[in-house]
Amino acid sequence: MSDLADTGTGRAAPLRRAARAGVWPGILLVAAVLVGCVMLALALGPASLSPGRIWDLLLAGPVGGDLDNAIFWQIRMPRVLVAALVGAALAVAGVILQDLFLNPLTDPYVTGVSSGAALGATIGIAMHLSNLPWMTVLAIVGGLGTLALVWLAARRRGRIDIFVLLLAGVTISYLASAVVTVLMIKANEDMHAIVFWLMGSFSGRGWSDVEIALVTVPFMAAPLFFTREMDILLQGEKRALELGVEVERTKRMLLVTAGVLTALAVSVSGIIGFVGLVVPHIVRLLVGPGHRALLPVSLLAGASMMVVADLLSRTIVSPNEIPVGVVTTFVGAPLFVYLLRRGRRVR
Amino acid sequence: MTVDDKRPTAAGQSGEPLVALRGVDFAYDERPVLRRIGFELRPGDFTGIVGPNGSGKSTLVDLVDGILQPTSGEVLVRGRRTDRYRRRDMAREVALVPQHFDLDFDLAVREVVEMGSYCRGKDAASCGDPEQMLARLGIADLAGRRFSELSGGEKQLVVLAQALMQQAPLLLLDEPASALDVSHQLRLFDLLKELNADGLTVLCILHDLNLALHYFDKLLVLSDGEVAAFGPPDDVLRPEVVEAVYGVRAYLHRHAGRTYLTFSPRLRGERRGRVHLVCGGGTGAGMMRELVDAGYEVTAGVLNALDTDEETGDELGLRMAVEAPFTPIGDAAHAENLELMHAADLVVVSAVPVSHGNARNIDAARDALRSGIPVWADEGVCVNDFAGVTGALAEDGARFFAGEEELLAAVRGRSFGDGRASAPGAAAGQATGPKDGPPGAAG
Repeated sequence: MSDLADTGTGRAAPLRRAARAGVWPGILLVAAVLVGCVMLALALGPASLSPGRIWDLLLAGPVGGDLDNAIFWQIRMPRVLVAALVGAALAVAGVILQDLFLNPLTDPYVTGVSSGAALGATIGIAMHLSNLPWMTVLAIVGGLGTLALVWLAARRRGRIDIFVLLLAGVTISYLASAVVTVLMIKANEDMHAIVFWLMGSFSGRGWSDVEIALVTVPFMAAPLFFTREMDILLQGEKRALELGVEVERTKRMLLVTAGVLTALAVSVSGIIGFVGLVVPHIVRLLVGPGHRALLPVSLLAGASMMVVADLLSRTIVSPNEIPVGVVTTFVGAPLFVYLLRRGRRVR
Repeated sequence: MTVDDKRPTAAGQSGEPLVALRGVDFAYDERPVLRRIGFELRPGDFTGIVGPNGSGKSTLVDLVDGILQPTSGEVLVRGRRTDRYRRRDMAREVALVPQHFDLDFDLAVREVVEMGSYCRGKDAASCGDPEQMLARLGIADLAGRRFSELSGGEKQLVVLAQALMQQAPLLLLDEPASALDVSHQLRLFDLLKELNADGLTVLCILHDLNLALHYFDKLLVLSDGEVAAFGPPDDVLRPEVVEAVYGVRAYLHRHAGRTYLTFSPRLRGERRGRVHLVCGGGTGAGMMRELVDAGYEVTAGVLNALDTDEETGDELGLRMAVEAPFTPIGDAAHAENLELMHAADLVVVSAVPVSHGNARNIDAARDALRSGIPVWADEGVCVNDFAGVTGALAEDGARFFAGEEELLAAVRGRSFGDGRASAPGAAAGQATGPKDGPPGAAG
């Protein structure tokens, strides 16, 4: 009989067995991977820094007058931190939305939040508010405003209809994109800036961007307290009600969390695709769909993937940069296909 | 078993019902689904809900669980209205095993079962052990399997385990047997019976009226959104109730000390004709049922009381000429039999053994032949003819068929009385003869 019981995990990935033993081994492993990626990203670039040098710079803290120190603390560190936070936020938002919509094709951008944020940013660029915090503020306002609109559309008798929400999100997404296109044509001299923003980048991100990105931390932490509810919701809303979950309250909390994470991520980095779609799937294949492992591991894996993608984007054809969204796709797609072929099923 | 922890110390403790519905109406948007529903469940009740598809059974169960709220009237669980409960508190009182349950995600059975203890909070001690629960249901070996790999029957038991983890005193089940084979069905209901003996109150929707009859202490019959009957199964599942609710004819049979229901489709409109059966000893029971189902008015005789065919005819409500048990056919029964035969459009003789005790039935059939009523007989009747009378039947013009199947096929192939020729005759062109013309099958 015990043979029979083991067949379920016999072919599973090693991380999956770790997840069975408890979630911590898996989390610590991916955390170590993240630390490695961050070190790599801090070390590599036009001026490479040795691990020993990085250690010295870390201990020294930001000091004026030293070129290495300036590169490390003023250029690389904020850029890497923003990339890590954005990657983590998108991955967490992806997990939440995929499991809430029970739809594997969902990414953080289906709610229309990203398009709203893009619209806000585009307006900022068209009004030449580019280098002010105004642009970020406009992007956040655009993203959250869209979330509110979609929310109102999907509300019926005090309940949020997930299906309507998805459709409304996609519709508003298209609408916002159409407006962005019109603005791009109108503001032809700024077209380049708009296109560049839309493609997403961490180029030139500084500590003020880190501060905005840090706001995502409590929103990434919040869902960690609702992993049981999220597990139960995989059985559908009705079953969750039957098992005692306050479904509407949980849904509201999760939707707002995912919306805010997406809006913040997009506002500091533009629209970077693929991470929010693929990281949750990859992690699900490795640790299974239980959220106690899925959420923290996705968070760390999203951060790792984005840091590596940004590293590649600025080093492959240095001194030029490839848009980071292109890199995430190039790195993520083959990895995803490989895991799909190897794993038995996506979900 | 942890379920009885929540059990009230005595069943009739305060006389307070566990669940009470009072004047409950429910409508989806404007479409009314349930009307004037009122009933109570007491601790320890083992109640089944039956009713046709669309009669509102699942809706009723969702109302009890507080997932739906009545448009008027009130649903009380332990004396408190269901809309006054937080979901977690409700889940501690009422557990539900849904009809459809699917999970596309790759969770282990253990994890799925464990979700049931959500309403018990984070304290492991009060949550119960998923492995123990699976062992209780006899499926301990499934714990490490993936839920998505299980068979339909295994899934059903796992979901039951999940619901039992709630340790609620009331268990609702929505057609738990629909995906199960007969052995799993019986196992499930035996299990529910056991849990009930441990103090669990059970309210279960099911479709199989015979299972309902055998397992449940009380049945609630829903018909078109209203309670058609509520009470002990024998009172509730009377053939006339079943006919009224389901629109089929129902027959009660007693066999090996149990009562069974069988069903026939209700006829649409006119009768197809009247057939008189000469049979006995079980040789005619099958034909009786077939002919009744096919829409013929069936009479039979002479049969001895307590004969298998007589009992079947009685269950089917047929008019019969009956003689006392183990008694040769007397004058009165013979006369009644002749009367029935002469009112028939066709006399059918089964492969009944003929002896001096029932030889008068063959005489009666010959009498019918002389009056112009066709007599069709199973060849088998000549095999066990200990009275030597069937030869005369053939001489008088009875038509013989090789067995019951052919006989029935021939009967179905033509219509009687003033009915038009039916399909086989029509297919053969205008060759259809008069009323007693050649039957479709070869003699």
